[in-house]
Amino acid sequence: MTPIAANEGYYGLPMLKRPLWGWEIALYFLSEGISSGCFVLGTMAELFGDGRHKTLTRHAHYLSLATLAPCPPLLIADLGRPDRFHHMLRVVKLKSPMSVGVWAMGGFSGPVAMLALKQFARLEWMPGRMLAIAGLPFALTMLAYPGVLLSTTSNPLWARTRFLGPLLATSSMASATSALAIAAALDPESDERTREALHRIEGVAKAAESVAMAAYVATTGKVARPLTKGRYATMFRIGAFAVGVALPAFLSFSRKKPGRAATVISSALSIAGAAALKWAIVHAGRDAAEDASLNLAATRADTAHPGWLPGVETRTGVLAGSGPSAP
Amino acid sequence: MTAEEFVNQAVEVWARPEPPAAREPTGFFTDTTLCIGCKACEVACKQWNQLPGDGFTWTGNSYDNTVALSATTWRHVAFVEQMDGSNHAPRWLMMSDVCKHCVQAPCEEACPTGSLIYNEFGNVYVQQDICNGCAYCVAACPFGVIDRNHEDGKAHKCTLCYDRQKDGMTPACAKACPTQSIQFGTVSELRERARRRVEELHARGETDAYLYGAERAGEYSELNSFFLLKDKPGVYNLPEAPRRPLARLKTNYAASFAAAVGLAIVSALCFGKRGR
Repeated sequence: MTPIAANEGYYGLPMLKRPLWGWEIALYFLSEGISSGCFVLGTMAELFGDGRHKTLTRHAHYLSLATLAPCPPLLIADLGRPDRFHHMLRVVKLKSPMSVGVWAMGGFSGPVAMLALKQFARLEWMPGRMLAIAGLPFALTMLAYPGVLLSTTSNPLWARTRFLGPLLATSSMASATSALAIAAALDPESDERTREALHRIEGVAKAAESVAMAAYVATTGKVARPLTKGRYATMFRIGAFAVGVALPAFLSFSRKKPGRAATVISSALSIAGAAALKWAIVHAGRDAAEDASLNLAATRADTAHPGWLPGVETRTGVLAGSGPSAP
Repeated sequence: MTAEEFVNQAVEVWARPEPPAAREPTGFFTDTTLCIGCKACEVACKQWNQLPGDGFTWTGNSYDNTVALSATTWRHVAFVEQMDGSNHAPRWLMMSDVCKHCVQAPCEEACPTGSLIYNEFGNVYVQQDICNGCAYCVAACPFGVIDRNHEDGKAHKCTLCYDRQKDGMTPACAKACPTQSIQFGTVSELRERARRRVEELHARGETDAYLYGAERAGEYSELNSFFLLKDKPGVYNLPEAPRRPLARLKTNYAASFAAAVGLAIVSALCFGKRGR
């Protein structure tokens, strides 16, 4: 018989079940991020823009609806029992970020649909500003909750950090700004001041995203292994960072006034980067759950988390031996 | 299905019948020093709960061909052979693993449909008529217990034999266990019994015996289904100190909203007069 040398771990078998979320959820996070981000930007332009950014608000209303539309089908397709999707509406549960997200999307969809309809059918009697203000808290919740949802799990890659929420929120704002920048660059009616404002916002959002990305990798530490060294490492490093942040910065933000073509290219890269980021984070969570040694390391006892093993420090020597303990 | 039946079924989802009156919490005390690895618990559980087989494979991992708890396996006997290469008799550790029925269960906290509840016995229970298979509980459980069945698309785990308890019977695994390694009862009584057992083992010189989950540990709640172990939790594939997912909910929301609101303010400034 082969002696079992390993002191800990159980035949290298995973301690956790792998999360079942896949491409539907990655695409959902991208789409709902653009939708809610566009809504926030459109609302801000309308409230504080003194009528200078009318084309942007128009683009924002349509983009918001267009990117919100695929969200419910994506979420329903991901369920084990899609025919029971309405069971999500049984309860309002503030401690469950998924319940919060469902209700936020419900509250968000009303103003989004009405604003797009008002614009399309030229229904001047509809209170545009009131609808925009009513949708704002829901839009901000949609921006903020995806990272919190992933962090409120036992998956080490998602749960061992406070920066996943900010990372996904800033990425969503950045990709929404990019989407509006593309629309502004392609629309001959768009105002020069609108394009400049979007350029500035995109720069700040990208900077915030890179800070959040660095903080996320730094705070997760060794636990970030499935993302930084695993099979999603290329997607994360090249896709999310190089294509999504570094290259657009080089192409566009190095110049004070980028041309329309440069804006379209750099903004498209930035959206592709956001897609890569969300895809990699959702999928690498599966690898994190299946990495047995990672979970052993991530659930070690410390002063804040004593666990149940008595006298962890003193007993390590005694119990680390794989030999029989009988006297 | 008639139209009336369809409507009734749809409305029933929102029905709030009066829940049964709370009883004294029940649970399992699994004493691994008494386990002989017969797997009667696994078989009794499968049989009573009518759970399908999981296929037949030799893993080569000692006598453990069950591998792990799953949506269709609610008891799992772990086998650990510890040898030092000398001629000493090996130490065998056997442990019948099961849902921990946490007093504050991350799966229950995550569930967005309210399918996961604490029933009148304080056990964590999945209401199968409600679950829509969103799989949040699967990612939330720090013990890797609950899973979604790919055939019916719903989450499943140990029910602590809710149906048997309602009829005043002992859960199938505890009933079948021939060595009383699995003991069922009220949690307060089981804890008392477990403490006496640890004292007894310590007095016999088996000083490495300890209870896993009999009390609260930091942010993590007591487990109504707790264990007597002889080695580090990791040896049995249990987390040494599980983290409570909900513990950082508020700070996570705060950081996330700060980022979203911050960028909204930046955009307001850029769109406004300040942006020239």
